[in-house]
Amino acid sequence: MKPLKIGISGVRGIVGETFTPELAVEFAQAFGTYFESGKILICRDTRPSGPMVRAAVAAGLLSVGCEVIDLGICPTPTMQLAMPYFKAAGGISITAGHNPLPWNALKFVRGDGLYLNTMQAEELLDIFHQSEFTKAKWNEIQPRIEIRDAIEYHLEVLGRAFDVEAIRARRLTVAVDCCNGACSVLSPRWLEHLGCRVLAINDEVNSPFPHNPEPTRETMAQLRAVVKAGQADIGFAHDADGERLGIVTEAGEALSEEMTLAIAAEIKLSRTPGVVVTHLSTSRAIETIAARYNSTVIRTPVGQSYISEAMLEHNAVLGGEGNGAVAIPEVHSTNDAEATIGLLLEHIAKSGKRISEIAAAVPRYIMLKHYVPVAPNLLFSVLNEVRREAETAGATEIDLSDGIKLSWPDGWLHIRASNTESMIRVIAEAEKEVRADELLAWAIDRLK
Amino acid sequence: MKAIPTLKISISGVRGVIGESLTPTLLARFAQAFGTYIGSGTIVIGRDPRTSGEMVRQAVIAGLLSSGCRVIDLDVCPVPTVQLIVRQRKASGGIAITASHNPAEWNALKFVNSDGLFLGTGQARELLDIYHQGEYTKVAGGEMRSVEMVTTALDAHINAIISVLGKLPVTGRKLRVALDSCNGAGSIIAPRLLEALCAEVITVNTTPDGSFPRGAEPIAENLQQLCQLVKESKADVGFAQDMDADRLAVIAETGQPIGEDNTLVLATRYVLGKTPGAVVTNLSTTSAMEDAVKLFDCPLYRSKIGEANVTEMMQQVGAVIGGEGNGGVIYPRINFCRDSLVGMALILHLLAETGRPISDLLADLPRYVMLKEKLACPSDKISEVLKMIRRDFAGQQMDLRDGVKVSFGVGQGSGWLHVRGSNTEPIIRLVVEAGEEVQAQQVIREVFEKVGNLLQKN
Repeated sequence: MKPLKIGISGVRGIVGETFTPELAVEFAQAFGTYFESGKILICRDTRPSGPMVRAAVAAGLLSVGCEVIDLGICPTPTMQLAMPYFKAAGGISITAGHNPLPWNALKFVRGDGLYLNTMQAEELLDIFHQSEFTKAKWNEIQPRIEIRDAIEYHLEVLGRAFDVEAIRARRLTVAVDCCNGACSVLSPRWLEHLGCRVLAINDEVNSPFPHNPEPTRETMAQLRAVVKAGQADIGFAHDADGERLGIVTEAGEALSEEMTLAIAAEIKLSRTPGVVVTHLSTSRAIETIAARYNSTVIRTPVGQSYISEAMLEHNAVLGGEGNGAVAIPEVHSTNDAEATIGLLLEHIAKSGKRISEIAAAVPRYIMLKHYVPVAPNLLFSVLNEVRREAETAGATEIDLSDGIKLSWPDGWLHIRASNTESMIRVIAEAEKEVRADELLAWAIDRLK
Repeated sequence: MKAIPTLKISISGVRGVIGESLTPTLLARFAQAFGTYIGSGTIVIGRDPRTSGEMVRQAVIAGLLSSGCRVIDLDVCPVPTVQLIVRQRKASGGIAITASHNPAEWNALKFVNSDGLFLGTGQARELLDIYHQGEYTKVAGGEMRSVEMVTTALDAHINAIISVLGKLPVTGRKLRVALDSCNGAGSIIAPRLLEALCAEVITVNTTPDGSFPRGAEPIAENLQQLCQLVKESKADVGFAQDMDADRLAVIAETGQPIGEDNTLVLATRYVLGKTPGAVVTNLSTTSAMEDAVKLFDCPLYRSKIGEANVTEMMQQVGAVIGGEGNGGVIYPRINFCRDSLVGMALILHLLAETGRPISDLLADLPRYVMLKEKLACPSDKISEVLKMIRRDFAGQQMDLRDGVKVSFGVGQGSGWLHVRGSNTEPIIRLVVEAGEEVQAQQVIREVFEKVGNLLQKN
């Protein structure tokens, strides 16, 4: 199976196989054409293929007549925040997020700093497939300008969104694993700005990823050791482009990535009850927490643009996903690990509680994740068959807005096609392990 | 009538019009083909300051990195600087991003081999085969190499020239040079070189912003501003460069252009005065070259048209200098390619050493009048035209290596006619040189009519 996925979440593939310079050039041409040759921001994470993809994207955008503001290596949320600041028409982030090193991807951002929504992404794909791109004449070609100030702007906005003085007063010791990714240029500086004693590891942008850039319990072993050895108050683990955040407690426990949003919700809703937006595959713990604080949970299909748009529509106080990505609207309505750090440290500082205590207040359910690679031409017919059987599974609730989500009082099961890879993802959650196993087994049986 | 093509993929590289045929995808593919061809080594790239240069540069970088190359990026610099750095850094090759004398809407890739020479015919054909086959080396995302930005290339080029030729000898006063770089790739380096040589510099058109303040070719009709400047500033000499700074035109202290062919004549006189040896030029270059080498009793060899042909023959005969009549001076001790900066240094040394003005130096040699014409000609008719010329001038001395070159007359009434099909356009080129303008006019009119009639008849 070819590792290439062109879809509403952008274009993603393995460099040296499917992700070629021509593909990146033509997607950039389509994007520049879509945004009518306006000003476009670009940034990248630290993958060794980044300079190649960056050059291909810049060439494509310039050929369409776009002015290109090149932010160099920086987290995706940094670019997203900078969009209105630079009055840009659109942005392309060159990052495969949590995917391993050989991968790369283009993520498409619009002028307000949010990802293209499904309709917009489909329009972009139509232009790409038609291959009729705007071609700038020699005297219409705009410059490519390298600007490194976006990080400063991000720090400024973060500094305004949280009680910096309260955090500084506590002189927290914080360990951070930047995975040698884009957060290496931002996260240690943000923590220093917050007056923390910073124990940074893997903050070297010219080195390869020390582990997969996905903040799961498995990848946080080194961070746990640093937290313990350095007697840190908390440890943070980043992905490659600054969206997801993993947490290690002061006791050295690596929390599941599902806990990040749950902890953020516990903190946020206890102060300001309101709407939390998350997608169908995120833990039910969010509903349990929301119930405590007389708050509401809105569930969307999987995909960041759905969450961002629903946050704006419902004036949400928080958004996020079960993979560790949290959006805090005081900064912006899109996933931002640095904003998540701000929220957590502010609460630790003000409440005087340890992170392990805060985590203990969050309900923990058993969540099992599984995926089944499926040939691209079979993805949706396979799902359709499962859907037919699902009607007889006795669920109390069936949600078909993104694949199939079946809910029972004691658990739920979500079966859907991935937006980024040719596979079907299965997620089962229950209060008891045996029930979670049972749900997962039911799904796997159907997918065989 | 077919539309005029805006893309030319040939053994001289790939040229096209921006916003029409020269797309970033095509450029990235060509760069991948080149990276594949040279085996994923180190590649030096540089560009002229055209507005499309940055787009082309990015596409080329993407293609080279993708095919596993390491890139040494000189950004805006003369083509000969790229060639020099390829040799200095022992790179596997180079790509010069420039459409040299073509108008502003054009751009092009020119491919350089590890010797710093443009790809020869055989190499260029191999590259084209790889490009067309479309199977390029692709390295894995984790193994991609990097781009090294080099900002010292201009200094390296200036140092290379000064270390071989030295500064100008100290005399009563500094030589005064008027310079017109056409806002091209020579805009930054040329004034710096002239100052490093200890000359005084007055400049026009030295802002490398991609604007074309005049026609890009350094031919007389494009150089009025410089001629004026030479007169007003009482300069000893005027130098004009083209966009990519490989060709050099010279204005005499009188404010008169001396003709592009005489750039090589002057440079040759200086070099042979120091190091007598073989000289190579192409078939269409002035007979004044024969007169110049005679002063030093040195042999002159003539090659087919095209820089690659000249340099190839220079290597064969071990030439001390060579070049083309379009203002391209090749001095292998510094750089094995046309280099306007080397040309300037050689001519200034000649002026300083002899203490004579340019007009006086040229008065030593017989003067010739050269006339050029071109006729649109379908490529399948070219051989018929050449056949007719061979028949009509039968019995005269002929060179058939590149079209037909006929030499006629002896002594005062002598001259030559060169008829050939262009390498780059569907046209026939006619060049005539003779001692007298009347005679040259007569020959070219006669041949022009004959060829015109033949083409009409078909």
